[in-house]
Amino acid sequence: MKIKSSGSGPPDVDMTPMIDIVFQLIAFFMVITNFEQQQADERVTLPRDQLAKPPEVKRENSLTLNFGYEKNKLGEKIDPNPYIFFSGERFTVEESGLKLRSEAQFYKTIGTDLKDVTVEIRADAGVPSGMVQKLIQLCQEDGIGFQRFALKATQNRD
Amino acid sequence: MKIRARHSGGDKIETQMAPMIDVVFQLLIFFMLTLKIVEPEGDFDINMPLGAPQQSSMDNADLPPFKVRMQADPDTGELAMLSYNSQPLGSGPQAFLRLNSEILKSVNALNAAGPSNLDKQEVEIDPDYGLQYKNIISAISACSGKMVDGKMVRYIKKIKFAPIREPQ
Repeated sequence: MKIKSSGSGPPDVDMTPMIDIVFQLIAFFMVITNFEQQQADERVTLPRDQLAKPPEVKRENSLTLNFGYEKNKLGEKIDPNPYIFFSGERFTVEESGLKLRSEAQFYKTIGTDLKDVTVEIRADAGVPSGMVQKLIQLCQEDGIGFQRFALKATQNRD
Repeated sequence: MKIRARHSGGDKIETQMAPMIDVVFQLLIFFMLTLKIVEPEGDFDINMPLGAPQQSSMDNADLPPFKVRMQADPDTGELAMLSYNSQPLGSGPQAFLRLNSEILKSVNALNAAGPSNLDKQEVEIDPDYGLQYKNIISAISACSGKMVDGKMVRYIKKIKFAPIREPQ
C-alpha cells in the first residue's frame, strides 16, 4: 500500500471551480439586476392586469410620477391623503403644478418637444380615479403642456 | 544601461489570484445586495380631453365614442355599477368580462362596416370621482383587448377619460 509522503510545503488548492462558480453568479446577478425601474416607488401598489405588458420599444423621453399613500412597514396607510412622490419630495396634486412646470421647462430647454414626452403615471390601486384625472388635467394646463400619458399596471401572469 | 537578463528557465510564472478573488467577491456582494426583485410593469396609453368640462367629448371623429360609465360605492370606492352605452353590466370582476364581450360585439360590427372605422373609434371612460383606480385599469384592459393563447388580440386603441366628475 502506498502511503502519501507528508511534504512540508503548503497543499495546492485548485481555485478554478470556485472562480468558475463565482463568475457564473456574477453574470447571473448582472443579468437579472434591473436598473431601469429605479423610478419605481415602493409606497405605490400598482393595480394588476393581464394585458399590462412592458412596451416593446423603450420610450426615449418619459416622466414618471408616483402617486400613492404614505405607508408604514406593514404596508398600512398612515395618511388618508394620496401624494405624488417625485425626486425625493412629496406633493398633493394641487401642489404639484410648480414642479410639473419646471419639468416641462427643462424639456423645452434641452430642445425636446413635449409631444414626444410621455408622462407615466404609477398610481396606487386604491387612489380615487378623479385625482388621477385631475393630475392628467394639470399636466395639460397652460404653461406645462404635456400631451402623452400612460397609466402603469403590474403584469398579472395568471 | 541595464538589460534584463532573459530568463530562459522552465519555471512557471505564478499569477496572484488573491486580488482577483477579492474584487470578484466584492462584485458578487454588490450585486447580491442591490438586487431588487421587481415584477414587470406595463402601461396603457390614455388621453384626457382638453378644455372646460362642459366641452363635448366628441371631437372631429365622425363616430361617437363608446361610453363606459363607472359608478362607485360612496363609502368604499369600490365599483357599484358598470354601464356600457347606458346598458348596465353589474359590478365586480364579472362586469368587466361582460364589458369585454360587449366591446367585442361592437368591434365586430365596426369591422363589418369597414376596418378603417375601428382605428378611429374611441372609448370614453367616465368614472365617479371616488372610484378606486384599479377599476379604471380593469375597464381600460377590457376595452383594449383580450389575451388568447398568450397573445393579445387588440380591440380598441384610443381610450380617453371623460371630464372629471367633481365629488358630491
